[in-house]
Amino acid sequence: MSKSKEELYQERLKRYTKAMKNEKPDRIPIRPFVAEFTALYAGYTCQEVTHDYEKAFLAVRKCAADFDWDAIVGNMVYVWTGLTQAINLTYYAVPGIDIPPDVGFQYREPPEEEAFMKSEEYDDLIKDPTGYLFNIWLPRVSRDIVPPKESATFRHNLALLKGGMAMMQYFDALGRQNQLLREETGTVSAISGILKAPLDILADKLRGYYGLARDLMERPDKVLAACEALMPHLLQVALSGADPEKNVPVAMWMHRTSVPFISPQHFQDIYWPTTKPILEELWNNGHQTLLYAEGNWDFHLSTFRELPAGSVVFHVDRSDIFEAHRVLGDKFCISGGIPNTLLSIGAPEEVRDYCKKVIDGVARDGGYVMDASAIVQNDARVENVKALTDFTREYGQY
Amino acid sequence: MEEMKRNPGVCIPWEEKVKELPPISGDKELARRVWEEVDFLGYLFIWHCLVSF
Repeated sequence: MSKSKEELYQERLKRYTKAMKNEKPDRIPIRPFVAEFTALYAGYTCQEVTHDYEKAFLAVRKCAADFDWDAIVGNMVYVWTGLTQAINLTYYAVPGIDIPPDVGFQYREPPEEEAFMKSEEYDDLIKDPTGYLFNIWLPRVSRDIVPPKESATFRHNLALLKGGMAMMQYFDALGRQNQLLREETGTVSAISGILKAPLDILADKLRGYYGLARDLMERPDKVLAACEALMPHLLQVALSGADPEKNVPVAMWMHRTSVPFISPQHFQDIYWPTTKPILEELWNNGHQTLLYAEGNWDFHLSTFRELPAGSVVFHVDRSDIFEAHRVLGDKFCISGGIPNTLLSIGAPEEVRDYCKKVIDGVARDGGYVMDASAIVQNDARVENVKALTDFTREYGQY
Repeated sequence: MEEMKRNPGVCIPWEEKVKELPPISGDKELARRVWEEVDFLGYLFIWHCLVSF
């Protein structure tokens, strides 16, 4: 008798969570972070899945059904541009509007002199981060929202109203999407909740990378104080979205704060003291964090060892997965490490060979989740993603 | 936005809001809870704009 979807879900949840606890499940769980790949596979444009989240959800569910993965993200094309357009945010290039319809959405960082936060505004941010965001930051990143001392306009009022309602609608729909994944295909929703490191947030959305790099040299004390001020808020946001069942991890998206983007000293003096306590507090609350380590974090592997065993899953992008496993493997689960370039321009046989190399080198004792290195976009070939999936399901048995 | 001490999860603290209200004759705890729950939505909006979108 075939398993019910709920039985399948429970089986997959057990497999996925066991691996993330650095234990050995029945086989290696497969959890690819597929973004615009889902559009390619389901026959949509990037514009369709970015601008119409119901199409994005359908594409994800089609992939979940056809590839039979253990876990997937409900919508890895996470920026619904209907919402960002409602607020009239300046920093996104929307497929089909600002860029060609088959290019994934882009983040456009302003030039240093037009950074969303000015270098002299650190004290304002430190004193009242939430007030700063509403009063100063939001009017700068939105073409419609005006600062407090200017007269409210029709578009200002609408941007706040539509933005707030659109966000609630989207989050509600994401909850339904996760339920549909469970009911239709027995697929686990891979992550729950979002975290970014304080220094990353400063680089991403406030000072910009160049501005932050300058500030680290010219006013490191202010940068540290700003990171400290952001910490409790970023923890609050992470906790608010974390899995109430405490099964799947919060995802921390790590962008620009590894060596050589910043110096080893700045990492040790600013990044780590303002990131580690957040990870520890999430763990104290029963939540794992998936460190989505974009780029190369080899220089910092030994630092991550300071975290409590099992508290994080270390996802490998451009880091050396074998070194990551050597340094961290006794304490933490590893995920990813299959190069996106291989999925894009390699042959299925090469994909299988690389998966074998990773499984042999990293996954023999459990504690590994199969995934590509970075999120899978529409440059990946379907036959290569299928090769990754089929090979892992066959060779990844324990 | 007025200058005030804002803890994580809060845009306008109940302690500030209650100063604007007449003496509450009914359930003070209900009034506080509902204010804080809805206020939290405003907080999530701005922080998700920063972190997620």
